[in-house]
Amino acid sequence: MATGQELIEAYTDWQVRCNGNQRLGKMLRGWDRTVHLVASDTGEGFTLSVAGSVLGDLQVGLAGQPDLVVTATSEDFADLFWGDLNPSEKYLSGDIVLAGSSEDVMRLDAMSMVAFLDQ
Amino acid sequence: MSAVDREADVVVVGAGYSGLSAARRLVDAGLDVVVVEARDRVGGRVWSETTPTGALVDHGGQWIGPTQHHLQALADEFGVTTFPTFDDGASLEIRDGGRYQFTGFVPTSDRSASADAVAALLELDLLSQQISPEEPWTHPDALELDRLTLGEWVSSEVGSAAARHMIATAVLAVFGAEPSELSLLYTLAYGHGGGSFSALLRTAGGAQERRFHGGAQQMALRLAEQLDDRVLLDAPVTSIAYGHGRVSVRADRADGNGNGNGNGNGGRAPWRVEAARAVVAIPLATQGRIAFDPPLPGRREQLTQHAPMGSVTKVHAVYERPFWRDDGLSGQVVSDSGALRVVFDDSPDDASHGVLMGFLAGHEDRVLDGAGPSGREAVALAELAAAFGPMAGSPVEFVEQHWSSEPFTRGGPVACLGPGVLSGCGPALRDPVGPIHWAGTETATAWSGYIDGAISSGIRAADEIVATLDRPLRRGS
Repeated sequence: MATGQELIEAYTDWQVRCNGNQRLGKMLRGWDRTVHLVASDTGEGFTLSVAGSVLGDLQVGLAGQPDLVVTATSEDFADLFWGDLNPSEKYLSGDIVLAGSSEDVMRLDAMSMVAFLDQ
Repeated sequence: MSAVDREADVVVVGAGYSGLSAARRLVDAGLDVVVVEARDRVGGRVWSETTPTGALVDHGGQWIGPTQHHLQALADEFGVTTFPTFDDGASLEIRDGGRYQFTGFVPTSDRSASADAVAALLELDLLSQQISPEEPWTHPDALELDRLTLGEWVSSEVGSAAARHMIATAVLAVFGAEPSELSLLYTLAYGHGGGSFSALLRTAGGAQERRFHGGAQQMALRLAEQLDDRVLLDAPVTSIAYGHGRVSVRADRADGNGNGNGNGNGGRAPWRVEAARAVVAIPLATQGRIAFDPPLPGRREQLTQHAPMGSVTKVHAVYERPFWRDDGLSGQVVSDSGALRVVFDDSPDDASHGVLMGFLAGHEDRVLDGAGPSGREAVALAELAAAFGPMAGSPVEFVEQHWSSEPFTRGGPVACLGPGVLSGCGPALRDPVGPIHWAGTETATAWSGYIDGAISSGIRAADEIVATLDRPLRRGS
């Protein structure tokens, strides 16, 4: 289990890497979205927004109307953000669940995979 | 003109999943139906066979995945069960002569190249979502997208050569053709028809997710059983005459007398069925071998001339046991070179023996044509041994299915439309010509190229005919 604070630390590391990645910058172009993260084990919720090809800070709590909801254990979220976890494996196994329009799911799936590969 | 041997409301040409599904639907609507099939078996591009050593292999289509509801419904109806394609453990990536293991969906030995490929796949998926799988030619940029090949798009959009190779391998596995052979518009419509390119390429969660206990041909066999003597085998159609709401289909039928019929044509005789409507449910590339009278509209003729099949040979190597699993390997291989670009573990569900299955596809398959079965076997086994060790080079049995030499399919797995075809001839894919309706997986609007698309296309063609019914058809319309 990862605490909310640990999760935010891991996310911040991921956020910095993603926002510095040219390929991801291009992939995120024109994709402004609100994403809710729900930690299935702790019940904690987080909100992040993507705007202008930039990933915003992770906020505690579920704010606003989400375009995408990602559900996983706090541990898997932390491992994903630290880059220790292959997201395509976790999506396939159903350990990480993405809910949203098919296009949004496609985008998040691909961008998280690129973030994992490009580190 | 020879006498009419049979009259029916509807004659269906081709007893693959498409034709059989059309026929069943028409029979259910109360119509008198005859299905004329060239081969001595039903199933078309789906053919399950027990080999001499007792292994059951699917020589053609074999998988079912999420959202393939038509195929699932048939399997449920006939009580045919499925099991997951073996997907546990590490897969192998062969790249630049090196051998690497990876887990998940994407090779990871060259992470930057893989990131490039994933980004390109997303780009293609996002583009494809804008293309209607029903009428791709109506997109405002259809002409422009149809002028480009997928290969040209990849060359301009994907920087790394390794990523381009990855994409080419995926395309070869899906189409049996190189990216340079496929129109971008066609590829996008095809991808959208299956949901997304990721869905086409995935095992778990995608088109390769599950296999059928007892083989993928079973549901076709059961449909044929239901249709009973309405299905005429071993009767290649040679000509179709049509007009005035009638259609006359002539086949070259085995006359049941192997000693010949006195005409010097090896025991075959012309056989003619007359009907009010026809469903043609065979690959476009084989339709050009049928003489239509009067000739089909120009657009339709152009379409059948410009819809070549991909080139694929499916090989199975049978072993006493799936020994690669002991090493934690999934049996799956993706390779940037060589003959076998993609390999799967095709062992039976109970793993009573081991089977590695691979595709020789596109350019390599054509080049190896002259090598013959023994030459292809040598190449394939050398590559399997390089991937899985020397044991893989000595299977108890090796079988191949060389689809290009099948006269009634002419290649596989699917038609590969090049630039200009869909934008120019697209509407001709499904527009009936007089009493003739068109089916076959290439005409499907979802899962075109797959068994599921074959089934839905047959149902769609049957429904077109039923919708025109206002009186019993056989008495003339």
